[in-house]
Amino acid sequence: MRKIKYSIREEHKDQIERWANYVRDNPQEWKAKLKPFLDAQIIMARRFYNKLAETPEGREKIKLLKNNVKLG
Amino acid sequence: MERGIDNKTILDRFALDFVKIVEKHCKYIIVSGFVAIAHGRSRGTEDIDMIIERLSRDKFAKLHNDLLKNGFECMQSEEFDVVYEYLINKTSVRYTYKDEFLPEMKIKFAKDEIDDFQLKTRKKLPFTGLDVYFSSIEMNIAFKEEYLRSDKDLEDARHLRIVYKDKINENEINEIKKMIKRVRKK
Repeated sequence: MRKIKYSIREEHKDQIERWANYVRDNPQEWKAKLKPFLDAQIIMARRFYNKLAETPEGREKIKLLKNNVKLG
Repeated sequence: MERGIDNKTILDRFALDFVKIVEKHCKYIIVSGFVAIAHGRSRGTEDIDMIIERLSRDKFAKLHNDLLKNGFECMQSEEFDVVYEYLINKTSVRYTYKDEFLPEMKIKFAKDEIDDFQLKTRKKLPFTGLDVYFSSIEMNIAFKEEYLRSDKDLEDARHLRIVYKDKINENEINEIKKMIKRVRKK
């Protein structure tokens, strides 16, 4: 089990390094590739918060959720 | 492919809209996660961290009211004096576009000599394509490696080190790490 975990961690690290190298070597191209991913995260989270806000005590729950998340 | 306005992300536009107001009132820097994301780090975030210089009550009231007038709202309160209390007590406050829950701009006052130094050495970073001030790459790497140290932060630092390979001033990073140990970890 420990070996599998290690392998996943290493693969993740490799992926981060491959992508960082791509960004460095393709300064005019990386943004177009990354934008859909970054925007989708915000759009989906907004959709979720908007739905939650319409439920009873939804706005209070959102405040609690946001205060509970380590932001950054 | 040129990086033009069409390539701006939702976070980019939010940062630019917010900075347009803030820069009329005070010195600011964008720090932490968004620095890495603006350099292509592939991870999500709902917020952007900003440090602003310490402002008097009156000056902050002008900034806060200008933000409200231009379509932002503060999650803590609409009243500037409530928000100001948070800030002078070294607690960050969060602004969003009005009636949107995210993204958020999390702002705090500069609280010590490290923050003052970050403001003094702030930089525009052309690689990001964004006309905003960031804390320096060396500062961000030092903070993430020496102070924050979560997996996410260490990965952010690794990303910045690769993107700025051969351009990073290691001596400066080491000096900043010493400052962090002296000021923040005492």
